[in-house]
Amino acid sequence: MLFQRLFSAGWLIACLAFAAIAWGYHAPFSYEPVGPRAFPLLMLGLMAVALAWQLLRPVPLRQAADEPPLDRAALLKVAGCIGLLLVYAGLFEPLGFIASSWLLGAAMARLYGGRWRAALSCSALLSVGLYLLFDKALDVPLPLGILGFLEI
Amino acid sequence: MDTLGYLGQGFGVAMTPYNLITALVGTLIGTVVGLLPGLGPINGVALLIPVAFALGLPPESALILLAAVYLGCEYGGRISSILLNIPGEASTVMTTLDGYPMARQGLGGVALSLSAWSSFIGAFIATCGMVLFAPLLARWAIAFGPAEYFVLMVFAIVALGGMAGDRPLKTFIAALLGLFLSTLGIDANSGVYRFTFGSIHVADGIQFVVLVLGLFSVSEILLLLEKTHHGQAAVKATGRMLFNLREAAGVFTVNLRCGLLGFALGVLPGAGATLASAVAYMTEKKLAGAGGRFGQGDPRGLAAPETAIGASACGAMVPMLTLGVPGSGTTAVMIGALTLYNITPGPLLFQNQPEIVWGLIASLFIANLMLIVLNVPMIRLFTRILAVPNWLLVPLIAIITAIGVYAVHATTFDLFLMVGIGVFGYILRKLDFPLSPLLLGFILGGLMEQNLRRALSISNGELSILWSGPITLGTWALVALMLALPLVRIARRRAQGRRVPAEA
Repeated sequence: MLFQRLFSAGWLIACLAFAAIAWGYHAPFSYEPVGPRAFPLLMLGLMAVALAWQLLRPVPLRQAADEPPLDRAALLKVAGCIGLLLVYAGLFEPLGFIASSWLLGAAMARLYGGRWRAALSCSALLSVGLYLLFDKALDVPLPLGILGFLEI
Repeated sequence: MDTLGYLGQGFGVAMTPYNLITALVGTLIGTVVGLLPGLGPINGVALLIPVAFALGLPPESALILLAAVYLGCEYGGRISSILLNIPGEASTVMTTLDGYPMARQGLGGVALSLSAWSSFIGAFIATCGMVLFAPLLARWAIAFGPAEYFVLMVFAIVALGGMAGDRPLKTFIAALLGLFLSTLGIDANSGVYRFTFGSIHVADGIQFVVLVLGLFSVSEILLLLEKTHHGQAAVKATGRMLFNLREAAGVFTVNLRCGLLGFALGVLPGAGATLASAVAYMTEKKLAGAGGRFGQGDPRGLAAPETAIGASACGAMVPMLTLGVPGSGTTAVMIGALTLYNITPGPLLFQNQPEIVWGLIASLFIANLMLIVLNVPMIRLFTRILAVPNWLLVPLIAIITAIGVYAVHATTFDLFLMVGIGVFGYILRKLDFPLSPLLLGFILGGLMEQNLRRALSISNGELSILWSGPITLGTWALVALMLALPLVRIARRRAQGRRVPAEA
């Protein structure tokens, strides 16, 4: 409940900040009565009103029956997963698709409870297989990175 | 009788070997994607957009592929809800109520094929409805000006909130966020850069595939992390695979009723499959009275939601094709795909590119038929896919998602953006915000702003153009009705709460 209020408040502030930015948008030449700032301002305004309502009278969250409450361990795992995805995004081009996907696949498989051996071997298969499928068969270009010498 | 001629032409397009194979591949991929937990029709369709584009598929084949994937996903979701009692998405919750008990009684194969059959009838009814009504609606919609379009889109957004049930405010906020996000990037009319903070990567706005995959795939990956179960054992589908004539006859009237109902609800923006399946199940339960064994494996309880889902999935394509206004999250994604091909769905599509529209309608017939035929030999294979453990599945989803995002622009900025959007989407889901209104808002935002500005240019800034015609006035009345709907519901719930205070 507290988190929900904080989140709404933060969102509301972001909304107002964006509105302040949008206020400054002017078209240097204009042939139409409505400029570039009207629509975003309208949306931000409506959103701010709705968020303020949400902030003052938050609705209690429904807890799904099969969903365990978030504890510290789960939050740590989620944070770890987000970190992994960010690292993956950073390494995608320098290391190339195959190497970075292998690393991500193995680390993620560990995170979700796979064994080391299985995680490493399966994710190696996955990354090579997906590379062949997408880059070679489906014409989606993917970076090779450090494996660039394999390109013929 | 032009319509029949066009339909024949459409079958001509859909029956070419190339498009038949496309439809077959699409249904297969869709079924597998729908089976996997964490991937639904929205992700499935969004993932295939860059691929279809990279393959250089012609627009009608691409659309057929996406529609086939859509239907396949709906079918795949059914398998996991019947055999595992895990609904893949909100719309199949009703399917589990009677489908899982049937599977427990050893009728898993029958339940699956019966649900496929029901869905086929539903889709058949809806496609017939589409053939009848879509050209009429398109002809009528040509008279729409920018003001009418703007009001229509306001209605679509508000209808989402009105139909959403218990959290209209959150639905509304999510839709507004989507509308706002669509304004990022360069403004086409004046050349002003909006909210780009000097970054060239967002100069042409947030890429639609990035938004969809971030919101739906990445947040789902994070949600899967919390769930503890590792690949639940599925009920084996043994014995008879196909339903017999008596079972089909027993549910036939249910099929007809729910098909019509599903079509009507599917055409309405915002209602969609979830509402249609719930209403269909409740209605049939009431109609069956004491004679039904609803909840304990009554075939009628399985047929009702399935028919409605199949019908509403096709019904949702009516507003998409005729008006260019999507009725559901998945059709919103398909509109995004069409824009990539520079095709604007709307009334003119029926005149200018009939082969696309009618080819799509014909391939819906064909894809539905394929799903039934595929069900019988493939079901054992499909059930084996359900046994794939999460630790293998999640990296696969993550990597494929990254490929889909990277394929759009080939920049890693998009990957970072996807993770950011995914984390935000995860928080939103934890806080009970529905995500598909956000997506719908994002798709409609650009159109809505353009039409508003065009309308006001026509009237030279006079706001009264927005409510001066009979069509706009009528639509505003519907908007008011939709806004009042949740209030009425809350009031009724309060009144009920007062009557039985002990129950809370």
